[in-house]
Amino acid sequence: MNHRGGFALIKATWFSWMQYRSFFFVLAFGWMIPPLVALFVWSAAAGEGSLGGFTRGEFITYYLVLVLVNQITYAQVNWTVGDIIREGTLNHWLLKPLSAIYQALSSELAGKVVYLIFVIPVGLLLAILLKPEIQTTPINFVLSLVATLFAWGLRFAWGFWLAILAFWITRADSFLALQDSLVFIFSGMVAPIPLLQGSLQQIANILPFRYMVGFPVEILVYDLSNKAILFGFLMQLTWLAIAVLLSRTLWVKGIRHYSAVGG
Amino acid sequence: MRYLKLIKVFIKTSAQETLMYRANFWVSLLHAFLNLIVAVLALVILFGQTENLNGWNLSSTLSLLGVYLIVSAIRNLFIGPSLEALVGLGQEVWNGQFDFTLLRPVNTQFLITFRIWRLFSLIDLFLGGAVLLYSIFQTPQSPNLLAWLLFLLALVAGILILYAILLAFTALVFWNPGYLFTWVFDAIFQLARYPLGIYPVGVRIFLTWIIPVGVITTIPAQVISGQTGAPIVFLILAASVFLFLFASWLFNKGIKQYHSASS
Repeated sequence: MNHRGGFALIKATWFSWMQYRSFFFVLAFGWMIPPLVALFVWSAAAGEGSLGGFTRGEFITYYLVLVLVNQITYAQVNWTVGDIIREGTLNHWLLKPLSAIYQALSSELAGKVVYLIFVIPVGLLLAILLKPEIQTTPINFVLSLVATLFAWGLRFAWGFWLAILAFWITRADSFLALQDSLVFIFSGMVAPIPLLQGSLQQIANILPFRYMVGFPVEILVYDLSNKAILFGFLMQLTWLAIAVLLSRTLWVKGIRHYSAVGG
Repeated sequence: MRYLKLIKVFIKTSAQETLMYRANFWVSLLHAFLNLIVAVLALVILFGQTENLNGWNLSSTLSLLGVYLIVSAIRNLFIGPSLEALVGLGQEVWNGQFDFTLLRPVNTQFLITFRIWRLFSLIDLFLGGAVLLYSIFQTPQSPNLLAWLLFLLALVAGILILYAILLAFTALVFWNPGYLFTWVFDAIFQLARYPLGIYPVGVRIFLTWIIPVGVITTIPAQVISGQTGAPIVFLILAASVFLFLFASWLFNKGIKQYHSASS
């Protein structure tokens, strides 16, 4: 594989994205709002006491970290790749002497950096205003970083296989809307997973969505037991493997099926 | 009368356009239901942990959600699509097509408000109404005729405020054709899903006095659940008329600023 070309592409894409930074800042602002609303709702509900074992300060910490993790792991690739297939611009990707994954990765990484330039200062400002409480150990911090990395991989691969359904289905973006709803409920965004009731919590633990956002946050903010952390990593890696496998198989099949329209 | 007839014609042409994309009906139906399920589930999860959110219980918060859904459905039905045809890259003010809109022998503000109808939003309108009615039947004493009347007045005031905000921001496009206020507004509008009272003081002031989206949903919901009465309703009616006049003034000033564009 042509790795040097791949890195050059990543750099070039980053520069071109920075030209449109105000546009991406607006997008990043929009993605921050749902977790921030949840932050306000839960800290209002907790009041001066605690709710389900969590104090107001802990809710604030949970959601501020979640805003950051959500931004790091958010895979916009699942929107763009679908459009590229539908509109036929995929041709440009296929003609370059690079693996197509670099094309997706380059916009992914470029986006990440641009978004984080916006989100980190805003997050710090919110942290100063809202005064989160945090107690964590260095080990949990490192584990949480590792989990975030896997979470990003999982969300990317998962988004990718959903996006390339566009090879076969014209309105594959409906699946993405469904996926966004599932993420909102089951990833720990609407409420921390430990606060979900009964069967909802069990479903959340099995579905992949918790391992895309909530799990790294829980490691850092809540005192998860060793067993729970191990279980989480196992689930995360299993889903990652499934997503990568699905992406690869569907991509190979899809390329054979693909025929561009227009000119 | 002429204006009513024109609105009828606008609706008819929009309906004809919509009917060309019939498969979109199912996609819109899916989105509407997902939206509703996610929103209701979020409230059910929240009120599974607590009975009281700053004086709001499950049924009054559901009423608020109903109002939110109704107001945003009306926005998406015609105000949003009509105004958005002006704003943004490649849209009317940007590419100079606004010339043709100005030349029509009808009041320009009327035309840019009622031109385009997205009839699938009627699904959301229906679902919002259903949520509202359901939540009202949940409460032990149902509202009397006066409360219903006040509620309708408050709802109309809320919609007028929303229209005025959108129109004012649209007017800014004449000074800066490329900016993305709708997205920023969409993000802020999401804060109106929950009662104003749960937010920290700074956010509350912002949502009441600067971009008054909090008022749009909170006050009608308070009226129908009997938490507030006539004086407040008349106050926001007056405020909405004032905002409407201000936005219209700003828009007409903006039109004077308009100088066409060409290729």
